Amino acid sequence: MTLVELNHVSKSFSKGDETITPLDDVSLQIDAGEFVSLMGPSGTGKSTLLNLVSGIDRPDSGTIHVDGTEITGLSRSKLADWRAANLGYIFQTHNLIPVLTAYENVELPTLLLPLSSAQRRDRVQLALEAVGLVDRAEHYPRQLSGGQEQRVGIARAIVAHPKVVVADEPTGSLDTETSQQIQVLLQRLNQELNITLLMVTHDADVAAIASRQLLLDHGRFLESNGAPQSDNNKASLSS
Amino acid sequence: MLLPWEYGVRNLARRPVRTALTLVALATVVMLVFVVVGFIRGLEKSLAVSGDPQVVLVYSVNAEQNIENSSIAARTPDLLTASLDGVQKRFGVTHVSPEMYLGTRIKTRDGDAGLGLVRGVTRTAPLVRRGVKIVAGSWPGPGQVLVGRLAYAKLGSRSESLTIGQTVEFEGKTWTISGLFVAGGAAYESEIWCNLAEFQTATKRQDISLAAILMAPGASASRVQLFCKERTDLELRAIVETDYYAALQQHYKPVRLLAWFVVVLVSSAGIFAGLNMMYGAVAGRVREIATLQAIGFRRRAVLLSLVQEGLLLSAAASLLSGFIALVLLNGMAVRFTMGAFTLRIDSVAILVGCGVGLALGILGALPPALKALRASVAISLKAV
Repeated sequence: MTLVELNHVSKSFSKGDETITPLDDVSLQIDAGEFVSLMGPSGTGKSTLLNLVSGIDRPDSGTIHVDGTEITGLSRSKLADWRAANLGYIFQTHNLIPVLTAYENVELPTLLLPLSSAQRRDRVQLALEAVGLVDRAEHYPRQLSGGQEQRVGIARAIVAHPKVVVADEPTGSLDTETSQQIQVLLQRLNQELNITLLMVTHDADVAAIASRQLLLDHGRFLESNGAPQSDNNKASLSS
Repeated sequence: MLLPWEYGVRNLARRPVRTALTLVALATVVMLVFVVVGFIRGLEKSLAVSGDPQVVLVYSVNAEQNIENSSIAARTPDLLTASLDGVQKRFGVTHVSPEMYLGTRIKTRDGDAGLGLVRGVTRTAPLVRRGVKIVAGSWPGPGQVLVGRLAYAKLGSRSESLTIGQTVEFEGKTWTISGLFVAGGAAYESEIWCNLAEFQTATKRQDISLAAILMAPGASASRVQLFCKERTDLELRAIVETDYYAALQQHYKPVRLLAWFVVVLVSSAGIFAGLNMMYGAVAGRVREIATLQAIGFRRRAVLLSLVQEGLLLSAAASLLSGFIALVLLNGMAVRFTMGAFTLRIDSVAILVGCGVGLALGILGALPPALKALRASVAISLKAV
């Protein structure tokens, strides 16, 4: 079942007199439960694509559907509500709120959901257990290592039981050992909790943990082996 | 859904030095507002309580609004008593107070000399000036004076210089203080009262400044006014005491307007303190603000949280200043041309001071918060 669907999406930016078009008439489909990695050189539109799927940016043309909802047609406020209920975001630099404890950081997205305090507590507890950080719940971000911070970030992304989780270079700021721990964690979340993941990475080894790897190059999706992807592989290039 | 309360509170402790400096700046601004509003309220209160609607002042028609310049014949009170109905009379005493009112140089025993206000009165004065109460000592005998609660402020002296038993010098004579009086904040509190006849002798004058008449309940002041208008030969003018002080209120209107203008100026300056703090606070949190939006918090929720921070700080500054103003400023004596009054930190002053304080927090937080929220979330997430 298709969960995320991009149809003929284009996005341009102005940089001085120059217009950059990182995404030009791009289409993509991601099934529920899939783990898709997206690689490509800098400036090829990986993060732009992630931002469009997560609804924090809007395409110039084309449509994006997530679980049947056309998010390109939603107002800014509706998009915020939609993100709260349907999307988890894992950031490269963790982006934890420094004045909140790990528990409070994870709890943030649940505050936006119609949950009782007991339900919220259970969800946060489960999310922290999933990333193995129950014993660090009362620690502030400054008291955590980089890897622990990223695990808190992952717990925050999954606590609201989102339909899709997007990860922007989730291991980009971590050392090799910690990076491997995070990769294992992401794989486990996908396989055990059946979370749909769309991950942007520069690292081919990290990309390899995904069930499907896409390469974005000058507006074209390529298979990881460099060949253009066909329609029946659920990603297409129309430009 | 709003952000947790703790988020705003803990953010204030994030940059403690900047927060403390802003707190001091905001508290100073609010304190200045308290001083100015306290001044306005004190002046208004002093003039408002100085009049008695039952008392009619009769003085020279040539003196315009300034009783100090008035000179009427010493026989005028007797003439008024004999000619008018409706003057309060009790136990055979007619409640008419002949008074001589003079601004003169007064020297205290400490050597302090200042321009003070002296009122020569008779024993009927307390019957007419019903708000006057002797709180210490006794009515002045020969060579003695009764001193108002704020007379020291009018002289620019210390309160210790005008205690019972101390002496003061004016009009070439030494007077001993026999008692102290209060008048509920009225203008008389900045005066020194002495015996009328002795004061006339000291000043080598035979006239008086005015006659204050207490009308009987139900009697109208218009009778006195009609008398003064018909007896043009006496060149007298009659005015109800409350009207006299209401006219003075108008006289001081430019001063009050100027004071309110100062409040606006000081408040405007205070907004910059709030803006400076909040711009600094928000500038370092661009990515964090974008993260909150990416999680799903609406812009309004983030905006409210940022305003909450500014509001918390300004509320703390307002409370701090309010406390200091109540403890230190309230009741502080201030000199002005007509006498002296006390700064009055009343409910209106508290309301204005705290209102300005809270407004500083909101207005200081809004522009930087709006600026941060207008930025693209996608770009702000990449901010360093």
